[in-house]
Amino acid sequence: MFKIITIVGFAVTLAGIVLHRLISPSGPRKAKKTQSDKGKSSLLLVLRRLVYLLALLSFVVLVITGFYPLLVLGEHISGYLVMLHATFAPVFAVCLAVLALMWADKCRIDYNEYPVMRRIVRLLTGTKAADEEAPCKNSGPGQKIAFWLIILLALPLILSIVVILLGYSGTHQQEWFLAAHRYIALVFSLIAIIHTYLLTRMQAR
Amino acid sequence: MFACRHQYIWKRIDNKVSKGLVITGVLSLMVLALPVAAEAEGKKLGDESDGSRAHSIHVIPLLTEEGDRIAPDDDPLLPFSMRQTCGECHSYQIIGNGWHFNAPDANAAPGRPGQPSIFSDARTGTQIPLSYRPWPGTYKPEQLGLTPRQFTRRFGSHTPGGGAGELDTPLDDEIMREMVSGKLEINCLSCHNADPAHNQGDFAGQIARENFRWAGAATTGIATASGSARDMPDTYDPVMPDPLDDPKLVPPAISYKQGIFDSKKWVFFDIKREVPSHRCYFCHSNLYIENEHTEKWSTDEDIHMTAGLSCVDCHRNGIDHNTVRGYEGEASVSKNHIAAESSCEGCHLGEKSSAEPVAGRFGAPVPQHPGIPPAHFERLTCTACHSGPWPGEETVLTKTSRAHRLGTIGVNKSHEALPHVISPVFATQGDGKIAPHKLLWPAFWGSLKDGQVEPVAFDAVGKILGETLADLKRLRSGDWPAFTAEHITGGLKTLASDKSIEGTPVYISGGKLHKLDDSGALSVEDHAAAEPYLWPIAHDVRPAAQALGIRYCTDCHATDAPFFFGNVAVDSPVVSERQDVKKMYDFQDIDVTYAKAFAFSFVFRPWMKAVALCSCAVLAAVLLLYVLKALAFVAKLLGEED
Repeated sequence: MFKIITIVGFAVTLAGIVLHRLISPSGPRKAKKTQSDKGKSSLLLVLRRLVYLLALLSFVVLVITGFYPLLVLGEHISGYLVMLHATFAPVFAVCLAVLALMWADKCRIDYNEYPVMRRIVRLLTGTKAADEEAPCKNSGPGQKIAFWLIILLALPLILSIVVILLGYSGTHQQEWFLAAHRYIALVFSLIAIIHTYLLTRMQAR
Repeated sequence: MFACRHQYIWKRIDNKVSKGLVITGVLSLMVLALPVAAEAEGKKLGDESDGSRAHSIHVIPLLTEEGDRIAPDDDPLLPFSMRQTCGECHSYQIIGNGWHFNAPDANAAPGRPGQPSIFSDARTGTQIPLSYRPWPGTYKPEQLGLTPRQFTRRFGSHTPGGGAGELDTPLDDEIMREMVSGKLEINCLSCHNADPAHNQGDFAGQIARENFRWAGAATTGIATASGSARDMPDTYDPVMPDPLDDPKLVPPAISYKQGIFDSKKWVFFDIKREVPSHRCYFCHSNLYIENEHTEKWSTDEDIHMTAGLSCVDCHRNGIDHNTVRGYEGEASVSKNHIAAESSCEGCHLGEKSSAEPVAGRFGAPVPQHPGIPPAHFERLTCTACHSGPWPGEETVLTKTSRAHRLGTIGVNKSHEALPHVISPVFATQGDGKIAPHKLLWPAFWGSLKDGQVEPVAFDAVGKILGETLADLKRLRSGDWPAFTAEHITGGLKTLASDKSIEGTPVYISGGKLHKLDDSGALSVEDHAAAEPYLWPIAHDVRPAAQALGIRYCTDCHATDAPFFFGNVAVDSPVVSERQDVKKMYDFQDIDVTYAKAFAFSFVFRPWMKAVALCSCAVLAAVLLLYVLKALAFVAKLLGEED
């Protein structure tokens, strides 16, 4: 069942990306560097980029080691793959935490970017409220949602394994946690792919 | 014309005679087969329970081998026959197909490899696993030149009779001996006798004296047997015995205790359908020589026994005596319909295919296995963590009832007594799961022909190599004498010079095949015949609090954990080979590098948990911060005045 869902999930996501690329060949224009950005040390920017690349590398390893045995070999992860998976998982978790700190502000959701939300707020309050903070233009709205979903899903994704490692859960609970880990990992991976696609699209401009 | 008619008549007569013969033959066969068919089809009085859970009282007449009733004043007094006495109410033929008796039956499913009969002889450096069942790694008794009768004499002491004991001898020389000693019938009372006076140890003594006919009765506590059929001449008739020429020889005889016969000359037997566990222990005890404290009082029993169960609570059978062995997967080869639910999982987890819940039989706790990842249940048997002795850096010598004749008079109590059974060895078994095993390194003289090693008949080895190995000093402990390479070379040369040995003479020991090369020097190589024979350990089961992994993963996943990296002793009569060791992983289908790397990864496991938890804390904090910010925005929005 999970195998089918995974294949369908990846196929739909990749098809969606291709379709989106065809419908909208040019991505959103990347915002010009603000005064505050210019003030930041280039070291921090390099660090941010390095962390992102490391996270990306870890993500690729985790996806391959996690899904390859299931999709290709038809068995659960084991052997060297599980060791590789377990080695890159903490690296990815750390990178994710660092990126969360570095990108959270950049990816804060400005409701003005979302016409639907704006309309809802106007309907509820009857005001034309505007965010006092300057809207962040470095990330697109889709990218921001993907980012926050990644942060949100990362918690159960990591904790579902940590709970098993802590050694207090029984066999059936562990099986449940492993199943949860698999499904969350699938959704997480799809969103991460979308996020990467949107990011690269913006960077390409 | 006349000639033709003549031929025709003779042809008709021939046909008629042939037809008549055929019909007569068929009718005769039918008549002869009638009692057998009736026994096979019709159930006897004791074959089926009426539903009462009360014990059946057995006050019954004793019957001889011929089916005649025994009276206390008979002369000569004959031993009662289990086949006849018990067979009056229970189908002996059906029982005879049960697990404890059907080893020689080629149609009996062998199931998972089990403990073989181990033929050992220190003098010739022999230790070889034998079995009538086709378990890979064992040899048929006839391959070692043992007739069923010789096999019974050697190994019958720790059997409940039947099996090989009832086979006809293939040797003409033995037919008369068979008449004298009788056959070793199934000794129903070996298991079912609850009489505290039952002396199963005497079974061994009677068998050693070839008193096969008397052995069963002699153990019961209602009778004693004396004399020795082995000492009797081939012409001795136990029913009508003639006076013996030698007054020192004592013919086999039975005497029944006074007062056991009632007014009808019937006898009471304290029979238990549910076999008492101490009866099982006679053949199924283990002694692990872990340290000097091997006395019974200083070791614990199986946790199931401590919990109040008996062996037969799990190892059940019906009249067919198709006893549940209890291993995982047995249901696929066993005809016993409760085989699946009588395994560890059957009781503790419940049989998944069952329509009704069956877990928790006998109050079996449903295990939670906290902290044990599910992958363990795909790769390990339950016994891997729960059974046998706790693994140490080195394997230990192990004595078993059947291999070392435990419980018999005059048994060698030395820890080093042959055969050298080694345990626990964590090895991959047939179903791909790792289980604890007992192990035996074969040692025997054989001949290599077409790449196959065939053992040389034991009698021949003794005769041919007698002088060559004469200088070997036999030890009182029953341990191997100090074989040297010179002994092996000498033995091989002697065998090569004997024309009765076909093929290249070889000696198997210490996991190696020894043979002489073209120059006459001793060469050593690997060979499948030198591989050890392993059989799984099922008992004693340790409680959950003493299972592997109870302390931490490093019970098994440490870089020096015995489960993967323990030393497995290599046993050999050859002194220079005794220092060799194998590693536990040599017996497991695993990648050693992986096993080491995986074990090493547990050093970092606590760090990994800390890193993952810290990362989660940061992610949660960021998430919380922006959720609060969003809330603040919403609150601000909702709180604004028009």
